[in-house]
Amino acid sequence: MTKPSATYKGLSRREFLRLSGAGVASAALLQACGGFSSSSGSSSKKLIFSHGPDDSGTVKLLIDKFNKENSKGISVDWREQSADTGAYFDSLKTQFQAGGGDIDVISGDVIWPAQFGFNGWVEDLSNLFDDSMQSQFLSGPLEAVTYKGKPYAVPWFTDAGMFWYRKDLMKKNGYDPNKPPTTWEELQGMAKKIVGSGDAKYGLVFQGDQYEGGVCNGAEYIWGAGGDILDPSDPTKVVIDGSQATTGLTTERSQVTTSTAPQAVVTFEEQDCQTAYLNGSSAFMRNWPYMYGLIAGGKETGSKITPAQVGVAPLPASTPGGKGYSCLGGWNLFINAQSDKKDDAWELVKFLAGPEAAKIRALKGGFLSPLKTTYTDKAVTGKVPVLGLASSLADQIRSRPVSPFYSDLSLKMQAGFNASIKGTETPTDTVSQLQSEMQGIIDQGTS
Amino acid sequence: MAESVSAKQVAARKGRRPGLFSSFKNEFRNKDRRLAYYMIAPVLIIILAVAVYPIVYAIYLSFQEVIPNQPSHWAGLQNYTQMFSDPIFHSALLNTAIFTVCSVALELVLGIPIALALNRAFKGRGVARAASLAPYAFPTAIWAIMWRLMFQDQVGIMQYISTKLHIFTDPILGSSGALLIAGVIVDVWKTTPFMALLILAGLQVIPRDVYEAARVDGATPWQQFWRITLPLVKPALLVAVLFRTLDAWRVYDLFWVMGSKQLNSLSTYVYTGVSVSQLDFSLGNAAAVFVFVSSLLIALVFLRGIGTRAQG
Repeated sequence: MTKPSATYKGLSRREFLRLSGAGVASAALLQACGGFSSSSGSSSKKLIFSHGPDDSGTVKLLIDKFNKENSKGISVDWREQSADTGAYFDSLKTQFQAGGGDIDVISGDVIWPAQFGFNGWVEDLSNLFDDSMQSQFLSGPLEAVTYKGKPYAVPWFTDAGMFWYRKDLMKKNGYDPNKPPTTWEELQGMAKKIVGSGDAKYGLVFQGDQYEGGVCNGAEYIWGAGGDILDPSDPTKVVIDGSQATTGLTTERSQVTTSTAPQAVVTFEEQDCQTAYLNGSSAFMRNWPYMYGLIAGGKETGSKITPAQVGVAPLPASTPGGKGYSCLGGWNLFINAQSDKKDDAWELVKFLAGPEAAKIRALKGGFLSPLKTTYTDKAVTGKVPVLGLASSLADQIRSRPVSPFYSDLSLKMQAGFNASIKGTETPTDTVSQLQSEMQGIIDQGTS
Repeated sequence: MAESVSAKQVAARKGRRPGLFSSFKNEFRNKDRRLAYYMIAPVLIIILAVAVYPIVYAIYLSFQEVIPNQPSHWAGLQNYTQMFSDPIFHSALLNTAIFTVCSVALELVLGIPIALALNRAFKGRGVARAASLAPYAFPTAIWAIMWRLMFQDQVGIMQYISTKLHIFTDPILGSSGALLIAGVIVDVWKTTPFMALLILAGLQVIPRDVYEAARVDGATPWQQFWRITLPLVKPALLVAVLFRTLDAWRVYDLFWVMGSKQLNSLSTYVYTGVSVSQLDFSLGNAAAVFVFVSSLLIALVFLRGIGTRAQG
């Protein structure tokens, strides 16, 4: 490695990390050389695209298509990253701190733009991702890529928490299968009856573990009760100690105290919910749209239930007539600020985020497109029913706090929300403690 | 043996008397000794560069306040006071202490009989020795996932058994107390064989004739164990306990994987601060220094114990 001959005196943390990161980066480089020795004669047009593993096969398909069809002779290498989003984030962070790394286009989680943008690690796309292009996207995903008025990424696909219910069990217990519960209270009544008659082991399963998914679930309960985490007009102000947020977390806790959800829900992540639901053990579930593919998969995905038995709806609200909110998930496309092929990188981003790619991803992978046009395309909506719901949900999807210190805020929320569901802390204590801890983080970071 | 040891000590004491610097000078005046120092110099430099420098730098960093996008500055003891008043650090320290004491004590109590059994001549002893090491051969992260599945409430056999026997009916993975006990059980399962192996090595150097003499004198097996085996195996025992204590004190993968990040230890606290969080880098660094210093103290206490035993 040709690395800076920095004097050790007065070495800042940034430089220290760059030096230590150089070791990591060079190790990664060696590995890459070993792995891709056949493509070592790379031309200057070789772009590196980083993305986690992809079960749907659509990423490879799209990259092959781009390599074949683009008019500028750009060729793209896909560098596969960790499936664990947290580990992927850590490895990117290390590379950025080490001076940028060699990745040109990065696919990344919906909560990263503020953090990456704040540190200047990714390109500010204001000039490229202009208003006319922005107007083609749904507002939720667009909001999530914007930090201080500037877009730092282009939304690639989107995701939203949804409410899954068993039509057959509802019918069997005397409920209209086309009228899923609209409030949490109604849901708890139905769940009690269904579990009582022995048709399901659990009423509801959701993600209550201490991890990022737990933040999504907790945020949904808070929003559903009319509360918020950060002040929408001033994101440096924490407002989680409002009474509505307490109500929201109390409702979440009540799923366990009323035995609607099993006590083990405090350890549940997506996979655990998925197992319980596909086994037919649970009547209701909060989970992401990807479930549809698994339910439809039948034996191949280990599902004991069929799409005909299942309905999908917006999440229930706290009060009758209220609105339930879904947490926005999904992935964005970033351009590395240190890339020396930004024009080519932008070509790839435009292609991957374009309507044609979105259609392929929706049809073959069940991914929700952030583009408005996909939802009016009959060829798509007819085949992927979750899409129809997603478009009607549009104004009920909200993004987690956009903050450059999101990972620190999230750590606190993960612990707080989990303790509240477990019952080791009351919701009132949780919100007041979170209020001071989170405000402390923001003050420390912006001081 | 005992004579030569004490002779050496006397010599060492004599050598120290003229003061460190002049004895250093004497050492270098001798041509052969000088050459010896030159020859070990490269190794010393490498150790300084790869071991001492990072430690010193980590200690230096732990006194700095570091915030992204801002120049770092001297913070004195602020990181340490903040760390010691952090409730998460308290729980991490408590969990690590309980885990270390319980798991090492249980491993010791179970390891001694296993080592004694393996020390006997019986058919298939080689197979038994190899088999007992099987759990130790797996990478921790892998069996941590395995055990997590066994403790899981829907498919887990451990949860099933504990619920049926009314030992613990709540989800094990959801309670931090139960999770800690589970962690101790799993660690004992994994590392008792290692402990037994180290003790076995100690047992094998005890000369047979000592036992023969004892038998001639009419000592019961119980007396033989307390009067011969235990005192003679003590140095090996202490080394084994030291290894395990230091290992347990740094526990990371077991807690992080099996507890799915719900169980804190000192090492997970360091990791969260340094790697996950953006703002707690200095705090994590201070905790890393704390782990280093506390490990060093533990090691020193044990080494002192081992040293005095060896003399007596």
